[in-house]
Amino acid sequence: MDPGRPWAEAVAIKDGRFIAVGGRAEMDALRDEHTREVDLQGRFAMPGLYDMHTHPDLSLAPGYADYLDVGLESPTPDDIAKAILDYAESHPGDGWIYGSYFVHFTFRQAEIEPGCEWLDTVMPDRPVAILDRSWGSMMVNSKALALANITADTPDPGNGFIQRDSITGEATGILIDGAYAMIHAAMPPTPQHALKRAYREGVQYQSSRGVVATKYVHVCEHRLEALKSIDDAGEMTLRVEAAISWQDDIFPVKRRWELLSGERHYYRSARLNANAVKFHFDGVHETRSSYLSSPWPGEEKWRGGLNLTPEHITDMVVDLDRRGIRVISHCTGDGASDLFLDAVAEARRVNGGGVRHQCAHSTLLLEENLARFKELNVTAEFSPAVWYPSDFAYARTQAGEEKMKTLYNFKGVLDAGGVAVMGTDWPVSNINPWIGFETMVTRKNPWGDYSEPFYGEPISLEQAIKVMTINGAWSMGIEHKAGSIEVGKSADLIVLDRNLFELEPQGNLHNTRVDITVMEGEIVWDRLDQFEQAELEAVWKSDQVPTFYERMED
Amino acid sequence: MSKKFSPIPVTVISGFLGAGKTTLLNRILNGDHGRKIAVMVNDFGEINIDSQLIVSAEQSMVNLSNGCICCTVESDLIEQLHKLINLRERPEYILIETSGVSDPSKVVNTLCYPQFRQQLTVDAVVAIIDADNFSSLDGDRRKLAMDQLSVADIVVINKTDLATTRQVESFRQQWLYPYARVFETQFADIPVELLLGTELFETNHSPSKSGHQCNANCDHNHNQQFATYSWESDQPLSLSKLRHALKQLPENLYRAKGFVYLAESPKHRCKVHLVGSRVEIEKEERWQQMPKNQLVMIGWNNLDAAHLNQALENCYS
Ligand SMILES: [Zn+2]
Ligand SMILES: [Zn+2]
Ligand SMILES: [Zn+2]
Repeated sequence: MDPGRPWAEAVAIKDGRFIAVGGRAEMDALRDEHTREVDLQGRFAMPGLYDMHTHPDLSLAPGYADYLDVGLESPTPDDIAKAILDYAESHPGDGWIYGSYFVHFTFRQAEIEPGCEWLDTVMPDRPVAILDRSWGSMMVNSKALALANITADTPDPGNGFIQRDSITGEATGILIDGAYAMIHAAMPPTPQHALKRAYREGVQYQSSRGVVATKYVHVCEHRLEALKSIDDAGEMTLRVEAAISWQDDIFPVKRRWELLSGERHYYRSARLNANAVKFHFDGVHETRSSYLSSPWPGEEKWRGGLNLTPEHITDMVVDLDRRGIRVISHCTGDGASDLFLDAVAEARRVNGGGVRHQCAHSTLLLEENLARFKELNVTAEFSPAVWYPSDFAYARTQAGEEKMKTLYNFKGVLDAGGVAVMGTDWPVSNINPWIGFETMVTRKNPWGDYSEPFYGEPISLEQAIKVMTINGAWSMGIEHKAGSIEVGKSADLIVLDRNLFELEPQGNLHNTRVDITVMEGEIVWDRLDQFEQAELEAVWKSDQVPTFYERMED
Repeated sequence: MSKKFSPIPVTVISGFLGAGKTTLLNRILNGDHGRKIAVMVNDFGEINIDSQLIVSAEQSMVNLSNGCICCTVESDLIEQLHKLINLRERPEYILIETSGVSDPSKVVNTLCYPQFRQQLTVDAVVAIIDADNFSSLDGDRRKLAMDQLSVADIVVINKTDLATTRQVESFRQQWLYPYARVFETQFADIPVELLLGTELFETNHSPSKSGHQCNANCDHNHNQQFATYSWESDQPLSLSKLRHALKQLPENLYRAKGFVYLAESPKHRCKVHLVGSRVEIEKEERWQQMPKNQLVMIGWNNLDAAHLNQALENCYS
């Protein structure tokens, strides 16, 4: 196949692989009595898509966990007490009551000090933790404090504190920022049913939008368990690389070291692996905590913050690289990616070749680092997909006009011979990969909400197709067996309702409908119910798949 | 950092755009208080909150930043505070103006992080309210208004020409909670001493600033000036009674300071720092002399000395 034209007129598939690619005549030669012919009626077919960074669990699972939801805009303490009691009644036992939310203002109006003293009067014998509406604090009762081992002697965490009585030093039951993690660590993990439903809906949705491989970055043993149960049920209709979380502040990862030293192989299948690790090296642009190579505009010294020392990262990359584990490093500032590339360089020096590591987000990259992606075999992953004008995207453009010109620099990495991929980073941006696909070609708002193009340079449609397909396969280390329509490769392809080369991309690519998704020769998605009741019946039916963002799909 | 400095007092001023914060800041900066005041305008928070709102408009849940520290911590504020603390000319006072769309409770929380405990102390949190504006708040602005008021020690109602008495009255009914300390003014004409409280307790400042000393026999009107009330006693107080009494002080009593002799901590002197509706009582070193209570209270216009005396005597354990 011509690598510049990774789409085809006709293919023959056997045992999950392409056995021929080309014109109709060549296919006829391979036909036998078992052959099923599917006439696509001239529709456009291409390799399936690769979303290389996303989080269905973080997006959906909390909503499915059946946590307490007081359900009022400004609940009073009485409303909250009632909601807690109702919840306790409908969820009998001695388990945690966890949820949202309370409002400090209504407590002041009611002359009640929020904290364990009040919460104990409502619910003394089950642990309760409830967040405030603006996420600034968490109120817990005495039982919760006891289970989390928080006493007058407990030291405060970094970036947060335990509010205490000024005379006795006892915790008041109000926890700030970093202190939430102590409660999360004492709580049972997000329920399996919620994780499973979240991932299953993510998988369904992704298959329906033509995604054949993805990376779920940040997982723990419970998340892997949920993924495995979907896989075991034969519902894992795309390939998943799961990245074990290197941190405990998103959710605690109690079996991290067991997973890394080999327990991860327990989850391994043709569709699922956990041979990766994810961590947050720096912060985010919105709060100017991304680690830049020079101070933030208007600052003398402030360059943003690193959550881990460069030495920590270097030793970790060298160590994991040696063990065949991919390191996916959240680097939104050009200073963070610079240090990450240095760490990979050290791993190459010590270990030789090794794993293709991944620079996640890559919001800003230094010009001088563009060539290092190729040199060091590092994937430049661009996410979330907000490289088009929107209020949300503009909230991330504070690092100065000069730097903004290179925002999400797909073109720079590709021109320097490197591999660029994309990630939706749901829920930070929409899980529909087609929005990012269109806008990397246009850098314009798909709905015409803004007339001017966004910062940064567009790439060609041919380049974008590679970013969305074969480059993803490369970043998963499977480009020799998937990612393009070539004889011998896994028969993963998608059939579209339009020909991408016969349309004006702006406004017409993001709403592409995927009619059929084929994964390893199996039809997993059939939008028009063409194959209903037939031997080729799809795994997912069109009425099963949730829509998350109606507005953004048109 | 060395501990030879006492912590720098910080006052946080919140309020929506147009409520009068800028007028007020200019007044403070141009005033002749003779202090080195550093002013920070927390406008970075604006973008942060905006983007959160945008995310939530499009998506049904946005709890990603909820658990994840790297997204919620105000690292820029932390860095700026470090910078101020380490200036060669250390400021004597820090004023932080939070922008119209950021949640001042996050700023206050950050000031209380362990890393700042030896360096900074929250002096006062003041919310400036434009009564006219408040009648029509909805959605996220309404929620933010609640955040501003719930963290405020003193609520300043700033009347523009537009705000009628009725508007102020309806603001009070809809928005004020019990025992709020309120200061009503026009054109943000707020006495600097209200915001930079330490002035009021210093004897070496001109006496005109701190007004005259009221006593139990005082029965007259004091207009547009501060009134002081002092209380002394050698009987031990009950901590819970004291906390309760201090919470219920009249709405024009803005500050109190001093030491108390608590039954719960008889060997140690306890310090009282009251700003508006916030009361802090902290255990300090052992008594060097005979334990006793010594409190100074400051209000605007009239303080009812007899009433205050009674309220404090009710705290005997
Ligand atoms: Zn990230
Ligand atoms: Zn992410
Ligand atoms: Zn008097």
